[in-house]
Amino acid sequence: MKNTILKIENLEVNIKDKEILKGLNLEIKEGEVHALMGTNGAGKSTLVKALSAHYDCIVKDGIITYKNKNLLDLDVSQRANEGIFMSFQSPIEVPGVNNSYFLKTALNEKRKYNGLEEIDAMEFLKLVKEETAKFNIDRKLLQRDLNDGFSGGEKKRNELIQLLMLKPDLILLDEIDSGLDVDAIKTVANVINSMLDGKKSILMITHYDRLLELIKPDFVHILNDGKIVKTGDYTLALELDEKGYEAIGIKDENK
Amino acid sequence: MKINDLKGLTLPNKKDEEFLKINFDSLFSYDFNDVQTYEFDIMGLETIEDKTIYDSVLFEIARNFDNTQKVITINKNIAEPIFLIHKIKEDETLFTNSLKIKIAKDINAQVVEVFVNSSSNSAYFVNRIFELEENATLEYVKVQDIRDSNSFIFNSYIDQKEHSTLDFTNFEYGNGFILNNFLNNINNENITYNLNGLVKLKDETTCSNLIKTIHNARNSLSNINYKHSLKDSSKAVFKAKSIVNETALFTKAFQNTNTILLSDDAVIFAQPHLEIYIDELEASHGATTGTLDKEQLLYLQSRGIPKELAYDMLLKAFEEKIANNIKDEIIKEFIQNYERNKYV
Repeated sequence: MKNTILKIENLEVNIKDKEILKGLNLEIKEGEVHALMGTNGAGKSTLVKALSAHYDCIVKDGIITYKNKNLLDLDVSQRANEGIFMSFQSPIEVPGVNNSYFLKTALNEKRKYNGLEEIDAMEFLKLVKEETAKFNIDRKLLQRDLNDGFSGGEKKRNELIQLLMLKPDLILLDEIDSGLDVDAIKTVANVINSMLDGKKSILMITHYDRLLELIKPDFVHILNDGKIVKTGDYTLALELDEKGYEAIGIKDENK
Repeated sequence: MKINDLKGLTLPNKKDEEFLKINFDSLFSYDFNDVQTYEFDIMGLETIEDKTIYDSVLFEIARNFDNTQKVITINKNIAEPIFLIHKIKEDETLFTNSLKIKIAKDINAQVVEVFVNSSSNSAYFVNRIFELEENATLEYVKVQDIRDSNSFIFNSYIDQKEHSTLDFTNFEYGNGFILNNFLNNINNENITYNLNGLVKLKDETTCSNLIKTIHNARNSLSNINYKHSLKDSSKAVFKAKSIVNETALFTKAFQNTNTILLSDDAVIFAQPHLEIYIDELEASHGATTGTLDKEQLLYLQSRGIPKELAYDMLLKAFEEKIANNIKDEIIKEFIQNYERNKYV
């Protein structure tokens, strides 16, 4: 029996007094890959934001249990240090904060949180070199300021470097494929697949079936009007791609 | 001895437009026990009588007590910056110090001045004249760290010849009553004047920066750039006035100030002001005020960095922009490693 890493029960979340999630249930076990699909405004991004304690989200009701802890008791950085990683749809630019310094700080904060010794600059560089070399990711990004002036692709690659270094247990990907060319999407898929060791779990939002081809989900959920209305396996994504939302009985609120 | 009792001076008043929001009352009405000239610990400096005509009364207070001025003339390139450390120790005393820094033609020089104190209820009135000959370059960095119940009035009068460059950077760290006054009448062509400041305040400090720049000659640049990082009930006044006269064609005149308010009680009064009489120029002015960017804070936290540390990282990034403008590496390192307790 696999352990449950995340259990969401009857989650209700508001953003700016608007009800977005209206009683959402979801269970993710260790090693599973879940894909979240749905029309615009269905609440996909709100779910991953709520999981990472984004200040926009007000949790009105529900229980989120992560690794047997009440996730709602933990703040943003505690959740990160417990192993939740949200890849931002558009990573924030932070001029004046050196990327390498930022990542080393993040890594050491996680190590401290988990009772491990901090690593020094030399060890850090060695680690980065090892991890990025596997996927041919350009380390020059680390010399610049955090996401400052990065192209869309560079920002996503930078998120991948963070993933590789921080080695989270639950990876939330909010449209990591958006704005990437085919080769870059392959790199994303290679990194993600390399991390799947049977323990790490993924919840990914995507509109793009190519990414699902490269990272095969165990479960595909369709979110509509703040609830999961349909769950299936990979074939559900294929069906959706072929026939559209209306055909599988989902009303697109945008139309 | 009270400054208010000085004869023949029309002292600044907070009702004057120029000094609006600055309250001199407690300084001018304070009864100091003694008045002294702060002497440099350097042998053989030339002494002259200061006959400069200033169009600001603030210079007159120091000159009223002592009308002599020391002169440092730099007429050859020196490998390392000159450091002048001022340390006010005596309590209840009004100190004055007047210095002219002259940079000879084609010479490149660096000067750093640090102002610290261990005194209480004292005041320090400092007059500086910067004379840059043709094609001279001066990087001048000032660290003001005057604390507690002390006052500090710093006046600078700048006189630049053709093709000279002045890079003037200020670090305002103290928590006393602080006023800096900068005058530059640009009467020569192809001058570069960069004035930068980091105003990092806490407690109940008041720190004011009054900057007046008058462009009378063509093709010169003035670039004024201040950052304020304000905690507790601190208050900063930033008033920059740049005038571009008809004779100053192709001037570049820029003013910019950014403020981060770190408490509900911190106050900034920012007034960038351009007065332009020609069309053939580049000019801009701007002032922003805000708190730290919450999206940036969230991003750092979302990678496991606790809130307080994320906050410090962002604040440091904001403040470091001023130090990053320093060209001389020795000075830059000095500023990065500056600690008050090394001097007091």
